[in-house]
Amino acid sequence: MNSPKIPGSLAFRAVLVALAVGCAADAALAQRPRFRRPDGAGGRPQPQQAEPEAPAEEKKVESWTAIRGGDVYLGDGTLLRRATVLIGDDKIHAVGHEVEIPEDATILEAEGKVVAPGFCIVKASGFGAPRSGEDVRDGMNPFDPTIKMGLAAGITSFLWQNGSGNDKPGGNSSLVKLAYGDLEGMVGPSDSVKTMRVPLNPQQMKTFRDLVKQAREHQDAVREAAKDDKKPAPKPPRGTEDILKILDGETRLWISMGGGSRMFRGGGDGGGDDTTEIRQAMEIASLLGRGVVLDDPVCAWVIADEVAATGSMAIVNPRNRVPSREGFEDSTGSNIAQAAILHDVGVPVAVTAPGGRFGGSGVGTGGILGQDLNTPHVDAAFAVRGGMPNRQALRTLTLDAARIMGVEARVGSLEVGKDADVLILDGDPLHYKTFVDTALVNGKVAYVRAEEPYYRHIRR
Amino acid sequence: MMTNRLASPPALAAAALALGLCALPEASAQDPARPVALVHARILTMTEDGGTIEDGTVLIRGETIEAVGADVTVPPGARVIDLHGGTVMPGMVHAWSTAGVQAENGGGVQLPANIPDRFRRRFMSASSGNSRPVSTPSKKVAESLYARQDVYGDLLDAGVTTLVVRPEGSGLPGMAARLDPAGGDDSLVVGDEAYIVVTPQNTQAAAKALKDMLEKGKKALEERKKPKEEPKKPEEQKKPEGEEKKDGEGEKKPGEGETPEPKPEPKPDPDPNPKPEPKPEPKPEGDQGGDAAKQDPKPAEEQKKPEPKKDPNAEVMADLLDKQRRAFVNLSTGADFLHWQATMKDLKDVAFPAAIVADSTDLRSGRLDQVLEIIKGFDGPVLTDPDLETLPDTRTLISQPKRLHEAGVEVGFVLPDSQREIEQLWFQLMELVRCGLPAEVALAGITRVPAKALGLDKEVGSLAKGLRADLLVFTGDPLDPTSTLTHVFHGGRSVREETDPR
Repeated sequence: MNSPKIPGSLAFRAVLVALAVGCAADAALAQRPRFRRPDGAGGRPQPQQAEPEAPAEEKKVESWTAIRGGDVYLGDGTLLRRATVLIGDDKIHAVGHEVEIPEDATILEAEGKVVAPGFCIVKASGFGAPRSGEDVRDGMNPFDPTIKMGLAAGITSFLWQNGSGNDKPGGNSSLVKLAYGDLEGMVGPSDSVKTMRVPLNPQQMKTFRDLVKQAREHQDAVREAAKDDKKPAPKPPRGTEDILKILDGETRLWISMGGGSRMFRGGGDGGGDDTTEIRQAMEIASLLGRGVVLDDPVCAWVIADEVAATGSMAIVNPRNRVPSREGFEDSTGSNIAQAAILHDVGVPVAVTAPGGRFGGSGVGTGGILGQDLNTPHVDAAFAVRGGMPNRQALRTLTLDAARIMGVEARVGSLEVGKDADVLILDGDPLHYKTFVDTALVNGKVAYVRAEEPYYRHIRR
Repeated sequence: MMTNRLASPPALAAAALALGLCALPEASAQDPARPVALVHARILTMTEDGGTIEDGTVLIRGETIEAVGADVTVPPGARVIDLHGGTVMPGMVHAWSTAGVQAENGGGVQLPANIPDRFRRRFMSASSGNSRPVSTPSKKVAESLYARQDVYGDLLDAGVTTLVVRPEGSGLPGMAARLDPAGGDDSLVVGDEAYIVVTPQNTQAAAKALKDMLEKGKKALEERKKPKEEPKKPEEQKKPEGEEKKDGEGEKKPGEGETPEPKPEPKPDPDPNPKPEPKPEPKPEGDQGGDAAKQDPKPAEEQKKPEPKKDPNAEVMADLLDKQRRAFVNLSTGADFLHWQATMKDLKDVAFPAAIVADSTDLRSGRLDQVLEIIKGFDGPVLTDPDLETLPDTRTLISQPKRLHEAGVEVGFVLPDSQREIEQLWFQLMELVRCGLPAEVALAGITRVPAKALGLDKEVGSLAKGLRADLLVFTGDPLDPTSTLTHVFHGGRSVREETDPR
């Protein structure tokens, strides 16, 4: 089976190889992440983004699947009309208009349909993943019917979180993929996210500062030791392990703005203003020299430039409503345009479902009638209502969501080398009437609407 | 019977006398010397090649069946029971019971006091199993049993003539015991090493504990197979070679274990090896004789070098990997099988004789027919719930036993542990048959198949010459709700007789 040779793909691969070589050469100097774009204006940090890893060696593809003729959203904001997505085993092999389809490929006709990357949900629970556990595999149920329900809503992966950090990074996380019936296929990269919260009191801030300082000193020591072969690499100081991962770019740091109720942020009067907390989070970002992820801010739209300046990202709930303080309507409270404003200044945004009485913000399977489950694309649609361009808004569920979870090398777009998590939809991905016809996870068909009890009776 | 032939009035007195005389032998009907003949019986033999004898005779002498067939001559002096077309089938084999097992620490939940609450809750609420995994495969449930419990008699009365109870708990809680449900204080336990219970849990910690134990067993087995100092002469080498091949057919595993050494080497200890070899035969009575058979290799070794103290648990696992023992692996849902596969993935060269017990259905965690490939990787049958189940989020009833049977998997059933539930079992089987499971398969599922899973199919589970006389008599088709269980024979002894069933 020859891989289909198309110029675009070849060139892309060449770039990848060059990148890989370049990075290998660099490795001794620094574990610098590979940015897609060079540093922007004024050398300000850009939100992190890793490329899919080029396979070490060309693996022989055993089974081919081609999704032919659909309008393909790549997930990064690009739309290719009447294009083909070629899947080799569990990875995207090629996407384009002139993709050569191997003879023995399974063909899924998508003419008149829309093809999009599976939705990546930053906050969710259920779908066969355990409620808690030391390991994401503990008690994992790959046959959980809610997996099918999630796929019906377009969800193909989400971040499983267990515990959270408080005044310093902590908590475990793992990407869970909705690979029905496949235990190993369900487990994605682990600990790509650590969490903490602001505000920190001065004492906590000092402790945090000290930890970062120790971590940086450790990095220097490691670099020193690397010069001398005989010296063993020093052990990281206690408590800095997670910070080191963040400094190295392996892990994203999510910072939540205080307590559960947004209403009361910014003081006891319910001022609807959390800019102070956001600024502290930005200070942490500067301290780390890395963008962080603002977890559900209310007023990031007020200081969007400051957020952008640190290379940070944000998880936003466009449906969230927090009243502003009287007389300060222009600088307090929630704003439906928050996602659009952040996007405009270059802050990647992921959307999440509103917090409800029956659970925190996020997609769950335990809400009333599973209502939370059906909302990811509706939440993104609310971002559009707030002024975000339609195609860019899809990024809030795909590529940018994956970046926020630190797993963009694996999922989030239909890019060659990424996991083949693909949806075939019967309409615009963000339209409320759209259904998922077929969902593939890891290159395997995991959901077919006509075969599952949930929506097969709906015809139009 | 006899009275029928005596027609004349004067004979009535004689008849009365005859009856009176008969009463004496009748009282001692259990005299093992006196054969019993069940005549005019519809016989469901439940043998592998099947076969129903429409009007036949079962002749019982002592503890065993002497003859089964359409034209069996009833010897003079035999006690004759005319069934008038009633049905005879083998006694039920209950391979996965907890009847009379005294739960330790409340249902086998053994959590140290210092475990934080959140872990405690998690283990308690885990969907499959509710206890912390243990690694005590050498523990015998027989040691915690006592005979004077009503449940044994009740089960026997309901038709369970072969009863094997297992230890509760998850991980490797120990070995099951074969019981004589009619046994007394000294005769309750027939065999205390019926099989090793494996109850995996779907956590990484439990998987690791299980893997560790299997690794220990593997090491112990390698230790055992290691050539002893004195290399033997060529003649001696030839014999073991043959034996090795025997071993090899059954399983690749022993071969792999020996790969480090060139083939001729492992001979040196032909003494310990040959004894385990004849396993295939000892197995049927492996439970009674199990002790002795298993101990054999050990004394031999102990004599040679008594220094290293052996971990009995590792030794038991080594026996298992050496195929001297069998395991019952408790995997109930599709998810359980996937976790099992993930656990065993790293232990590719580890294989052992095992039956599957799927004793708690949860279709929200996957059906058995979704993991057929993994199921077919086991060499033993699957014992499952005799239930119809509703598919999640639908009103569709499905029959897992039927799906398994149609996929070519040998299906048996997990029996309940009380007399009343056993009576309902016939209803459940009837429902399964109504939904398409062949009646033969349904009945084999409570007789021959579990017997086979236990390695007792040369002894019980079907009706053929030489097998134990464990049998049930019904007034009609056992699956017909209007028919009644009238007789239970257990080892040739009648333990239930309803003279006026209707």
